Amino acid sequence: MSCAQAVVREPAADLLLTLRARPRRIALVGNANVGKSVLFGRLTGQYAVVSNYPGTTVSVTTSKATVNGEVWEVVDTPGITALEGVLTEDELLARRILEAREADVVVQVADARNLRRGLMLTSQLAAHGASMVLVLNMIDEARAHGISIDRAGLAASLGIPVVETVATEGRGLAELRDALGRAAVPVFAQAHRGDHATLAHELSVQYRRYRPHAVARFQERLGRLVREPLTGLPILALVLYGMYLAVGVFGAQTLVALIEKGLFQRFINPAATSLVTRAVPWAIARDFLIGEYGLITMGLTYAIAIVLPVVATFFFVFGFLEDSGYIPRLAIFADRTFRTMGLNGKAVLPMVLGLGCDTMATMTTRILGTPKERLIAVLLLALGIPCSAQLATILGILGGVSFAALLTLFGVVLLQMFLVGFLAARAIPGERSEFIMELPPLRMPQLGNVVRKTLLRVRWYLGEAVPLFLIGTALLFALSRLGLLARITALAEPVVAGLLGLPRDAAAVFVMGFLRRDYGAAGLFQMSKAGQLDAVQAVVALTVMTLFVPCVANFLMMVKEQGLKAALAILGVVTVIALGTGTVLNATLRALHVTF
Amino acid sequence: MSPSEKTRRLSSLKPGTAGHVHHVVRDNPDRADRLMALGVTPGASLTVLQRFPSVVFLCDHTELAVEPAVARAIVVTIE
Repeated sequence: MSCAQAVVREPAADLLLTLRARPRRIALVGNANVGKSVLFGRLTGQYAVVSNYPGTTVSVTTSKATVNGEVWEVVDTPGITALEGVLTEDELLARRILEAREADVVVQVADARNLRRGLMLTSQLAAHGASMVLVLNMIDEARAHGISIDRAGLAASLGIPVVETVATEGRGLAELRDALGRAAVPVFAQAHRGDHATLAHELSVQYRRYRPHAVARFQERLGRLVREPLTGLPILALVLYGMYLAVGVFGAQTLVALIEKGLFQRFINPAATSLVTRAVPWAIARDFLIGEYGLITMGLTYAIAIVLPVVATFFFVFGFLEDSGYIPRLAIFADRTFRTMGLNGKAVLPMVLGLGCDTMATMTTRILGTPKERLIAVLLLALGIPCSAQLATILGILGGVSFAALLTLFGVVLLQMFLVGFLAARAIPGERSEFIMELPPLRMPQLGNVVRKTLLRVRWYLGEAVPLFLIGTALLFALSRLGLLARITALAEPVVAGLLGLPRDAAAVFVMGFLRRDYGAAGLFQMSKAGQLDAVQAVVALTVMTLFVPCVANFLMMVKEQGLKAALAILGVVTVIALGTGTVLNATLRALHVTF
Repeated sequence: MSPSEKTRRLSSLKPGTAGHVHHVVRDNPDRADRLMALGVTPGASLTVLQRFPSVVFLCDHTELAVEPAVARAIVVTIE
C-alpha cells in the first residue's frame, strides 16, 4: 500500500468506518452485456440505465459504496471484448484506466455461460498486474443451460477470488464484498506470454462441465421465430403495429386528450388566465404568461399536455423491447440494406435508439467499427430518425388524417435516408467494418426495471426538453413583440408558402423547429387542430420537420462526437435536403391531386 | 485429426450442423481478433442456426450473427 493511501483511523477502539485520504477504487470491467451496470447499482445503490444489449453504458460512471466499513469508489466502465489488437474507443478507455493504475481492485464481471470468453479477457487483464476478483454473473442462467463451474479449482488456478452472482437479484453480493479484501494479482500473469486463447480454452475445458439440459427450449423456439425471415418479418410488423397502438393511439390520442382537454383546457389554463389577469397589472407580462406565445398557455401546454404522454408511453414500450433482447436481432434483417449504405447490421442499434432520443443515439454511434460508419450514422440520425417526442406529434396529427398520410411520410423519410446513406457511402472516404454481432439472450423483461428506466427517462425529458420549450416560447414571444417574427415570416414566405405550399404562419413553427423538432411539430399539431392545415400541408410540413436536425442538444452532441466542421456540414446538408424534399413532395402531391 | 472428422467453412454448412471451431483464417487479422474476442477460438463448440439473411450460429453459449464473408473465414470440424 502506498503512503497516499495511508489509513486514517479514528482513535476509538471499534472500527466503524475506515476513511482514507483517497478512497480505494474498484473498477468494474468485462465483456459487453454481462451485467456490470446491474452490479454497479447493487454495490452503490445508484441506478445506472440497464438494458439487454451491448453499448448501454457509453462512458465511465463513478459512485461510492460502503464495503465492510470502508468507503470505496466504484467505477462502471463500458463493455469491452479485448485489450490487445485493434481496439474500440471504449476499449482504449478501459486500457487507460488500467495502465494509469487508477483502480486498486479490478473486478472482472464475466457471463458464467461464456466462461471461455471471460477468461480470454482475464488473461489480458492479468498482464496489467492489477489486483483482481473474478465475478461469474448470471450463474442461474448458466445452470439452466446445464453448465457448472468448479469455482474453487478455477480460483486456485487463477490465484484470485472467484465469486458467483445473480446481480439482478442481489445474490452473491455479500460474497463479492467479502472477496474484495482478498483481491490478488493473478498468478499466471507471466507464464502464458500472450497466448490468451489457449489459456482460456484449457481453463474452461478443465473447470467447466456440461450436463444435457432440456430447459430453455422455449427460448430457443422463440429465438428461431424472431430470427427467420418467414416468421421474423411478420413478427416485426406486429411489433411495430403494437407500438403504434400503444404510442400512437393510447398515448397520442387517449392520454393527450385526457391531459390536454381534461386538465389544461378545463383547469390549468383558465385558472392561470384568471389568476394572471387579476394579479399581473402589466399587459406585456400577462401576454408573456398567457398570451398567444405564453409560457403557460403555449410552452407548458406543449411540453406537458402534448409531448409528455407520448414520450412516456414510448419510453415504457421501448424499455420493454430493450430488455427483451429483441432489438439487436433486427440487425439480421437490416445488415444487407445497411451494407449498401456504408454501414453494417450493427448500426440498427443507434438507429432504433434514435427513436427514443437522437442525442443519446448520436453518442451510441461509438459502438460502430470505423470513423466512416460513425459519421454516416450520425448523419442519418440527424436526417431521418424522428425521436419519441416528435413521433408523438407526427402520430397525433397524421393519425387523425389517414393511414396513407402516415405511410407517405415514413416512406419518403426512409427513401431519403436510404438515398443519402447510399451516396454518403460512396462520397465519404474510408471503410465499413464487417458485420459481426453478438445477440443477447431473449428474456422476459422485469417490470420493475422497465418502470424504473421509464421514470428515469421521463425525468430526463422533463429536465432537458421542458426548459428548451420554455426558452423557445420566450424567444418567440420576444420575436413577436419586437416585430421580428413578422419579418422572418415575410422573409421565409417564398420558401414556406411558395415552395412548400404552407400557410405563411408556418414560418414561426419552423423557427421553433430549429430549437427542437418536436416543439415545432407541436406547433404544427396546434395549427392542424385549428384547421389551418389541410392534409397535404400537414404531410409536407411534418416531412420537412422530420428531416430537420432534431434539436439544439443533438447538434451539440454532433459537435462533440464529430467536431464542429462535420456538425456544421451535416446541419447544412440536412437543411437543404429537408427543404428540397418538401418542395418535391408538395409539387408531386399537388400534381397528382392527392388529398389523403 | 481422426479420419471420421472433416473440416468445412461455416458459410457452406446447413442449419442444424454442429461441430467445433477448427481455426479462423487469418487473412484479415482485425476480423480474426474480433471473432476471437467473442469466443470463436479453436475448440469452441459451434452450431449453425440460420444462413439467410445473415449467418447466425451458436458458439459455446454466445449467439452470433455475421455476414457471409465472415462465415467463409471460420473453419469448422464436423463430428
